Amino acid sequence: MTPDLPALGLPATLLAVAPILVPALAAVVYALLGWRPATVWVATLSAVAVLGSAIALASQVLRDGPAFAVGGVLLLDPASTYMVVVISAVAVLAALATPTYLHAEIAAGRASTRTAARHSGLVQAFLAAMALAVLAADLGVVWVAVEATTIVTAFLVGQRRTRTAVEAAWKYVVICSAGISLALLGIVVLNFAAQHLNSPRLGGGPDAGSTAGLTWTGLEAAAAQLDPGVTRIAVVLLVVGFGTKAGLAPLHAWLPDAHSQAPAPVSALMSGVLLAVAFYAILRVKVISDIAMGPEFAATLLVLVALASLLVAASLLIAQRDYKRMLAYSSIEHMGLLALGAAVGGPAAIAAVLLHVLGHGMVKSVLFLGAGRLLQITGTSHIDKVRGLAGSQPLLAGCLGVGVLALIGLPPFSIFASELGIARAGLATGFNTGSPLLGWATAAALVIVAVIAAALIGHTSRMLLGDDHKTLVPAREGPGAAFAPIVLPRSAAAALLLGLVATAALGVTTGPLSALLGAAAHTLTGAQ
Amino acid sequence: MSAVHVQLLNLSAGALLLSAVLVLWRRELVVIIRVFAVQGIALAALIAVLGAVQGSLELAVFAVGVLVLRAGVLPGLLRYALASGPQERRETRPLVNVAASLLAAAVLTLLALAVSQPITALAPSSATQAVPIGIAVVLIGFFVLVTRRRAVSQLVGFLLMDNGITAVGFLTTAGIGLVVEVGVALDVLLVVLVLQILTGRMREVFGGTDLDELRELSD
Amino acid sequence: MSLLGTLGGTLQVAVIVGGSPLLLGVMRQVRARMEGRRGAGVGQPWRDLRKLAGKEAITPRGTTEMFRAAPVLLVAMTLVVVVVAPFVTTDSAIPQIADLFVVVALLAHATVVLALAGIDTGTAFGGMGASRETTILALVEPTVLVAIFALSVPVGSTNLSAIVGSSLAHPAQAIAPGSLLAAVALIVVIVAETGRLPVDNPATHLELTMVHEAMVLEYAGPDLALIELGSAMRLSVYLGLLANLFLPWGIATEVGVLALLGGVVAFAVKVAVLGAVLALVEVFLAKVRLFRVPELLAGSFLLALLAVTSSYVLA
Repeated sequence: MTPDLPALGLPATLLAVAPILVPALAAVVYALLGWRPATVWVATLSAVAVLGSAIALASQVLRDGPAFAVGGVLLLDPASTYMVVVISAVAVLAALATPTYLHAEIAAGRASTRTAARHSGLVQAFLAAMALAVLAADLGVVWVAVEATTIVTAFLVGQRRTRTAVEAAWKYVVICSAGISLALLGIVVLNFAAQHLNSPRLGGGPDAGSTAGLTWTGLEAAAAQLDPGVTRIAVVLLVVGFGTKAGLAPLHAWLPDAHSQAPAPVSALMSGVLLAVAFYAILRVKVISDIAMGPEFAATLLVLVALASLLVAASLLIAQRDYKRMLAYSSIEHMGLLALGAAVGGPAAIAAVLLHVLGHGMVKSVLFLGAGRLLQITGTSHIDKVRGLAGSQPLLAGCLGVGVLALIGLPPFSIFASELGIARAGLATGFNTGSPLLGWATAAALVIVAVIAAALIGHTSRMLLGDDHKTLVPAREGPGAAFAPIVLPRSAAAALLLGLVATAALGVTTGPLSALLGAAAHTLTGAQ
Repeated sequence: MSAVHVQLLNLSAGALLLSAVLVLWRRELVVIIRVFAVQGIALAALIAVLGAVQGSLELAVFAVGVLVLRAGVLPGLLRYALASGPQERRETRPLVNVAASLLAAAVLTLLALAVSQPITALAPSSATQAVPIGIAVVLIGFFVLVTRRRAVSQLVGFLLMDNGITAVGFLTTAGIGLVVEVGVALDVLLVVLVLQILTGRMREVFGGTDLDELRELSD
Repeated sequence: MSLLGTLGGTLQVAVIVGGSPLLLGVMRQVRARMEGRRGAGVGQPWRDLRKLAGKEAITPRGTTEMFRAAPVLLVAMTLVVVVVAPFVTTDSAIPQIADLFVVVALLAHATVVLALAGIDTGTAFGGMGASRETTILALVEPTVLVAIFALSVPVGSTNLSAIVGSSLAHPAQAIAPGSLLAAVALIVVIVAETGRLPVDNPATHLELTMVHEAMVLEYAGPDLALIELGSAMRLSVYLGLLANLFLPWGIATEVGVLALLGGVVAFAVKVAVLGAVLALVEVFLAKVRLFRVPELLAGSFLLALLAVTSSYVLA
């Protein structure tokens, strides 16, 4: 049943596996050589190499159309290559800031060179797993890769070995593994449906001879023949399961803990792209669901999940006292917005969703990197204990302030464009085509987003403004204390600025990405 | 499928469900682990019966693999995790008391039955008729995971879910492909290892694995 | 009313009334031997009954007719069950009431009568025992109904004779998950209902936690003899039902000296073996604390429910 896509030659195959292979090799380098001056920038080089190969892959896909690689294991289409671009773009930012972070941790005595080597190696393995998750052609392999990200990051979350870090790691592994197990059950059920396709030839009865396999393309091609009753169960399980990993309600409880306890570069990667990788799986499941059962079913499910996530985020953001948790809850909010956009469907909304993934990934990683830096300088993650940052750390404060403005969706940053796109598509689809649920949900979401924006601005301005310079004496003791140099090193500053500038540029024009975004949205709306 | 095979299939499916209920019922962690090992045997038997029916060597190999992993290695790891902390022998105060959780399990089983109607209807056979039992085991496992406080009980809850999913997988189809099958087994093993290491760290910093102690991170 | 049924009914009364004190004797003897004592012999319960029957009847002051009627009612209700249920023969003397619901209701009524008598004495122990017994009863009754119902699903009838006949015809049904789950549920319930360990300790009058013995503490003489006989018969009835519902082999299906004799012997052996196993297990058990009993019974209810579910699903 699988449509015949062209296989690739050797150079193209190497290019296709590069996003997985390069970080994996970098992980091996760290495992063998450890953390030493020669290996400090290997992570950054690997991220840049992945970004390069991702861009090359994307242009190749745009030129030659979708293709399979490595004997059908990897699927190269606009959507999957776009996700690799997102992953590697955020990875470059995180990798640029990592050496500064680790040097400060080592200086503070909270990490050894061995911890630093393990950190770097695990982060590279994490990148490889995420690249595999988006490139894999087979739903089963996607599952294995997503679960692998949990295993790899478990030790990164618990790296500091404090009470809170161990607690966060435990919750992270237990909740995510349980959630992703539900997704596995969904895959099993979907596989069952795919092996018993309703054949129009036999008058709608099960057709024993045909099977669709578990590849995305095969499932999409056969989706019209999937049994709706069984597929419904599978879709619910898959959305809840991958939704757990994407930080969507109701199984979101791990997210604020893990994101606030993980080291800053890992928080940046988890919040920026790991959530989006899981969400990408939901987007592809939705394509199958829409063909098999019509768009209403998945839309209703996603609207419920989206509104629940937005409400959770808003209620816990208003009185938040910890700035890292504040950023984590904001990630839940943005995942809710993505779910809403996916529920709306249609090329315009999906393109906005994909743009939002990239914009949110970069802005959120800038903010997490900045917050990690702030934690190292002040030794506290309490919002109340940070005052007047703008006076003493103008560059860091500026990045954080601009980042939060970008995050709440002010122009010219791309989040403004993508939120506008989702809202317009939601209101248009909702009130023009007679599905008022979507329209009202979009309206409610806009109200919640406004409330969250006010809360974020309030919290951030308390931290950045004011004249109490005394709180910003570098804390030499206390749980988060570090001997961080007060002056921000160039590489870390470059990461923060690069992220913000790129997001702003994307907001002005998507430029060369437009074609890729359009093609990816086309793929993810079921139009082959 | 002959009548004897159907009987054996039903018997191992029944044992699967019964052991899930017993995990919910018993408090002694050692007994819980033993029951879990018994469930591994029941699962292997289930796969072996399916293999015998289809005359498939691949399924026989899977059955052996499942037996080794779920009745040998995983219970061994759990026992090891338990043995390194001497004071914890019992699940003392589950969030939902045992009588209520048993009644909840009854409700979950009925729920599984209701939910899996379409699956049975799509391809009625003795194997798919047992699918509700697999789904019930998944739900009971989830319930254990949510309501138990000891690290080891939560682990067993997670593994119950996984056993249930594996059962559903083999009952609906002959597995979901070799690569995925091995990947899943590896992932489960790794998750257990990760959690076991975390259990050790938890003892280091908390002095116990009562997860009630995990309340520093909350809003 | 068939000839087989009539003969069976008569034989069952003789076997159970005569044999149940002996069953009690066997169980006590097994227990004694396991504990390293010589024991009083299998006939001791009969000797106790004879001694009690020879004594003067005493009723405590202030008790009403309820107290005096209870022992007779207990034995009478149990006797009805003995007559109609399929123990020695598959046919019933009165087939119309050899029904699951009737039999369970009769057995439950007997317990209720005893509990009322316990309350009637107005003593602390009587009321306490009655309250505990009704608690257990409330949990046991649904379980028994659901468990036997699970067995009746594949048969399509709640008539006990029909269920026994069907499991005789299809022996493979005995290892169906539904039957096994129902068997486990019934065993737990029978242990609770007949006042055995680990729910209640039949051998003591000294524990504050006693259940059954507390209710009948005020009885003496012939009344006590009747209650002891009634309790022994209930134990035989439950064990007999358990044996014949799951392992009906040997039960008489036709009129004939050999068949009937075989039925009697098979029944006696099955019940004696079950009783001995029960006694054996009791040696190794401690009494469960009273507030844990609901947990035990909730568990057996769940098993019974699962039995029904799987009878429907896996049929």
